[in-house]
Amino acid sequence: MSAVLGCGRYLPPRVVTSEELGSELGLGGTAVAERSGVMRRHYAEPGIGPSDLGREAALAALGAARLGPGDVDLIIFATMTPDIAFPGSACFLQDKLGCDTVGALDLRAQCAGFLFALAAADRFVRADRAGRVLVVGAEIHSTALDHSPRGAAATPYFGDGAGAVVLGATTEPGVLATVLHGDPAGAERFWCEFPASRHYPTRMELEHLEAGGHFYVVDAEAVHPQAERALAEVAREALDRAGVAPGAVALFLAHYLDHRVARRALESGLGVGRDRVVATAEGAGHIAAAGIPIALADAVAAGRVGRGDLVCCAAFGAGMSWAGAVIRL
Amino acid sequence: MSEAINSRILGLGHFVPERVVTNADMTRLMDTSDEWIRQRTGIEERHFITQDGGPSDLALPAAEEALRAAGIKASQLDLILLATLSPDVDFPASAAFLQRRLGVSGMPAMDVRNQCSGFLYMLATADAFIRTGGARYVLAVGAEVHSTGIDLSTLGREVAVIFGDGAGAAVLGPEPDPRRGILSTHLHSEGKYAEKLMVEVPNSRSRPRVTADMLSGPGSRLWPRMEGRYVFKHAVTRFPEVIHEALAANGYTVSDLDLLIPHQANLRISQLVAMGLELPEEKVFNNIQRYGNTTAASIPIALHEAQLAGRVKPGSLVCLAAFGAGFTWASALIRW
Repeated sequence: MSAVLGCGRYLPPRVVTSEELGSELGLGGTAVAERSGVMRRHYAEPGIGPSDLGREAALAALGAARLGPGDVDLIIFATMTPDIAFPGSACFLQDKLGCDTVGALDLRAQCAGFLFALAAADRFVRADRAGRVLVVGAEIHSTALDHSPRGAAATPYFGDGAGAVVLGATTEPGVLATVLHGDPAGAERFWCEFPASRHYPTRMELEHLEAGGHFYVVDAEAVHPQAERALAEVAREALDRAGVAPGAVALFLAHYLDHRVARRALESGLGVGRDRVVATAEGAGHIAAAGIPIALADAVAAGRVGRGDLVCCAAFGAGMSWAGAVIRL
Repeated sequence: MSEAINSRILGLGHFVPERVVTNADMTRLMDTSDEWIRQRTGIEERHFITQDGGPSDLALPAAEEALRAAGIKASQLDLILLATLSPDVDFPASAAFLQRRLGVSGMPAMDVRNQCSGFLYMLATADAFIRTGGARYVLAVGAEVHSTGIDLSTLGREVAVIFGDGAGAAVLGPEPDPRRGILSTHLHSEGKYAEKLMVEVPNSRSRPRVTADMLSGPGSRLWPRMEGRYVFKHAVTRFPEVIHEALAANGYTVSDLDLLIPHQANLRISQLVAMGLELPEEKVFNNIQRYGNTTAASIPIALHEAQLAGRVKPGSLVCLAAFGAGFTWASALIRW
């Protein structure tokens, strides 16, 4: 069995309002806020990588668990914006935390990445391959976004940040269910093409840069309906798997690019009251692999959930990949 | 309190692009020589793609072969894993593109990004899912297209002569006999040396993370940078360490081992490791001579060739071990 021993989060200090962003993107008035539903997001300073944000979140999670970096047996890092192309961000984090020479696994499942990492961590613990796993989701989207008018469709949604959970072996089950899914049919509706190893003879050339091929493409209108359906379905599937009735859940974490779609998925699709849903992207934008653990740490810090409470997570994003989890804290 | 049932490799497959690039071919692109390459690395030739095609494209035939060998249909897979350091596109994961090429959907697809140790990190992940009933059948493919990301001029020669394109696949499933299958997995990292072997761009730490300046060669930061001396020195220490760790965890010693398959980083590293372990030549499998270093793909390609050559048979005790960028290193002990 595995359970969450502690969680933590970190947002870089610099706040970027939707008005500021609007002037860069050539969108006046309230257009950025209307498009994304987000008033502000945080951007990391130059020189800061996801592993730096991840370190702060990890230290908070370890502190909450009354553990230190030396107690970690395995690091699992989920991100779609690694520090550099390779090696993986988990390796940088291992060094920055001063962990022993433990495994440092980097996973890529985009916006649902944290729940994929959580599922893997749960499996490593239950298989007795690790006693305590540090699971980190961290993103620096700000350096990957198009801050010209061409970025008006995608850039408003995203922010930077990190969240972390320490998962440990327990006699009472904490992670009650994890469910993971993928459907690549519409992968190009939400993707970033370059650098692309598949491009012969060179994976990225100046013409791709000039065309903005290294920026995110988000066809939000095409993705929203699929996301809304999948979020409700995967939450229901995770609850069924855990043998938990929706009414027994203290808090639902709904994670998707557009928080209004995420909220609607659980409120309308699952019939959950507004006060029991946190749409992760509402506060500081969509932070992909970091959104769920940040929202979880915030809910714990605010006293919205505590020991013994049931939390149901649902995430949907690029890939397409989506996932659900039911956790007893 | 492990709930475990062992996992086992049910089938293997591999694929390399048709075009063979010999050391002599490399001398036409850069100032190098067949003798220099052979002496330092043992490599004689490698395979490069000749048209647009990503790791997921190379992974497809390898995966299909592994599925056939396992007697499993793609639709029966519960999890698709792909390990690479040269993904098809920036995102989503190459596993998603492989899933599409396989014509299936519904099951999760994710990438493992652990460089040369990627196959073993992925194997450990697959094993953990299967051991706990989280998945029954898992496809684990290591696939790389290096040739579109190396500097094929004299400036890049130290790195460019090493790498090759290719894919190797394993289908894993549950094994009821507790004495068979994957006996243990061991994962390690030391990020202090992360920048001793890296590709720096895209670099999330600088805004924007890709610029014309970063791309313009010579010295494009899209190409790998390697301090070979560090890598070599740490490899020859960590390889034996993690091999001993796997053997000791299962109560075995080197003399119990039937075959060691080291990640094919450099023939000289493999030879030094074998010598240090006092393993005779017939107990170590190397094929870097024909493929170069295919990072995450090297172990499954070698394992498949070893199986085809009759060097891995039911009952064989096989150790897989890797060391590479990160630094990461890992091992797995398997009773075939």
